[in-house]
Amino acid sequence: MFKTTADLLIKSHPLRVVQGRFFAAAVAEPKSEDRLQSFRTFEADPSKHNTNHQSQFYKVDSTDKKVLFQYGGLPKSFQIQAKTFNETCLMVRDPSIQIINHLKTIDYTQPPIKFVLYGKKGCGKTLTLAHIMHYAYKNDFLIVHVPWVGNWMRRCKDTSNSETKPGFIDLNIDAAAWLVHFKTQNANILENPELKTTIDIQWNKRECTPIGSSLLELIDQGINRIRFASNCVNYLAEEVKKLSQSGLCRTLLAIDGFNAFFYPNTRVFTEKKEMVPPSRVTLTEGFLNLTKFDWKNSVIVVTVDEIAIAEKDQISHYPRYLLGKSGFEHLDPFLPVEVKDYSEKEHQSIMDYYRERKWIHSYPGQNDELYFLSGGNPFRLMNLCNAL
Amino acid sequence: MCATKVLFSRCFAVSKLNTPILSYIQQNSMSVYPNYYIEPIYRKETQQELVKTGEISKYSHIPTKATLNGQTCSDSYDPVIALFTNYVMRQGLKALAREQMDKCFENIKRLQLEKYHKCTTEEEKLKIELDPKKVFHEAINNSKPLLQLTGVKRGGVRYQVPMPITDRRSEFIAMNWLVDAGKEKDRKVRFAMQLARELVDASNNTGKVVKRKQDLHRQCEANKAFAHYRWS
Repeated sequence: MFKTTADLLIKSHPLRVVQGRFFAAAVAEPKSEDRLQSFRTFEADPSKHNTNHQSQFYKVDSTDKKVLFQYGGLPKSFQIQAKTFNETCLMVRDPSIQIINHLKTIDYTQPPIKFVLYGKKGCGKTLTLAHIMHYAYKNDFLIVHVPWVGNWMRRCKDTSNSETKPGFIDLNIDAAAWLVHFKTQNANILENPELKTTIDIQWNKRECTPIGSSLLELIDQGINRIRFASNCVNYLAEEVKKLSQSGLCRTLLAIDGFNAFFYPNTRVFTEKKEMVPPSRVTLTEGFLNLTKFDWKNSVIVVTVDEIAIAEKDQISHYPRYLLGKSGFEHLDPFLPVEVKDYSEKEHQSIMDYYRERKWIHSYPGQNDELYFLSGGNPFRLMNLCNAL
Repeated sequence: MCATKVLFSRCFAVSKLNTPILSYIQQNSMSVYPNYYIEPIYRKETQQELVKTGEISKYSHIPTKATLNGQTCSDSYDPVIALFTNYVMRQGLKALAREQMDKCFENIKRLQLEKYHKCTTEEEKLKIELDPKKVFHEAINNSKPLLQLTGVKRGGVRYQVPMPITDRRSEFIAMNWLVDAGKEKDRKVRFAMQLARELVDASNNTGKVVKRKQDLHRQCEANKAFAHYRWS
């Protein structure tokens, strides 16, 4: 595995550099008319994005947005901006182009490659993931997407003791909500009649999902009988694995805030008010199962984020610290991809975009001042621009 | 006895010595700076102008007060907004006041942009002011009263007498009215949101504050008969 990923990096790397250089030479003397529109690209299909589109904005189709991000997946502050700007635009940035290029070239008969997005707070990890998911959606991947693991571990809706596994805790309402999310994201693919369950699932004495029933039935069972939702998620994970293994679908596993699965302190409590570590939450099992190497025809993109853990432990943004020993060993080997602060070109681009959307009103020296104040951090820049 | 006498005389001497300093402190009230300290010149343009005219040498050796932490040379700085922030401030919580003002401007932009995107024709779009600072200045201009009423006692009766008003005072009243209007709201609405709505309304010459101004003017008109109490 390690060999393949390393090979892949070496193969793709020189190509990327050459393209980058060529592009740098091309933009050295932009025409005055072009410059106004240079922050925007009309290439709305993410599978055609390459380094030429770097730091440009592309518009996400509203129908795509509705399918992909109806039940979460975009940060709240970004959603508010999108509503105000009357459109949803994502910036084509380096990490997403890199990963999309890899997704195009990797060998899907091998075990999945794991990409770990990391970076400081407010750098755009979630939006990078959104861009990759948009690519996957356009290329008919089965998307297994967890919008924010922190919602389960740090602010779960309800808890109950697991009926099947003693000592485990179910988060049934959250699990059912996730099933709805999964169903809407993959509505097209799930209509495929070949996606069938491979084992008999006995829920209780009377209810069972027989072998060969469609995946939709399994999901509906989880949504309608909320008591079984957590188990349903785990079964679904297993089924998705088997289906990808057999080549019926190609899967993208996208998990935001993956490190919350390994952070020992959660806000999930038992009836006796004892804290439950993530390893004893039923949902964890299914997703850790999906991040193993024992399947193929899939690719894994996860983010590690400081915000997913308690504030007092937000010391470093590097994967080794955030995942801890057990988490690091679980994922290893993986490809770390850093999401960086804005470069000067990206900063210029977003300032032009804000101006075009009439969000800020320019004064001389505004770009430099804001770049200095924000330190290139996208979230901080957004907050600074709010009052201008 | 002798000891007390010595002590007394010493105290007297000290108090005698201190008198000029004491009077000096009283003159300057609570300020940390002696009264010969001048206000800082923190705007780049003013400094450059002084350099051009050569007046900068005059200031070079005069002791100067430190710049306040809100005063910057950034182009986004506006003295009127800084003043308004101070009026919004309660209990010295300046950071909170500034945050509220920032949120208020954000809300103004969101309100106006929402209207902007709803418009179908270009002409309607042009009519909507999207710059929150312009909205703010327009709102203050529109809510400045031209007269004020002052109580004057004549023959045991207190008359409300219309008086002319200075620009400074009228600006103060307008700003305070706006802050009051921002606070007059439902419990669930935030101050920043309500203030934003009031500012937008006032900039369009409608809303609570403009009505209050018109009410005052009407009252002044009604009490026109008492105007001579101003001087007699």
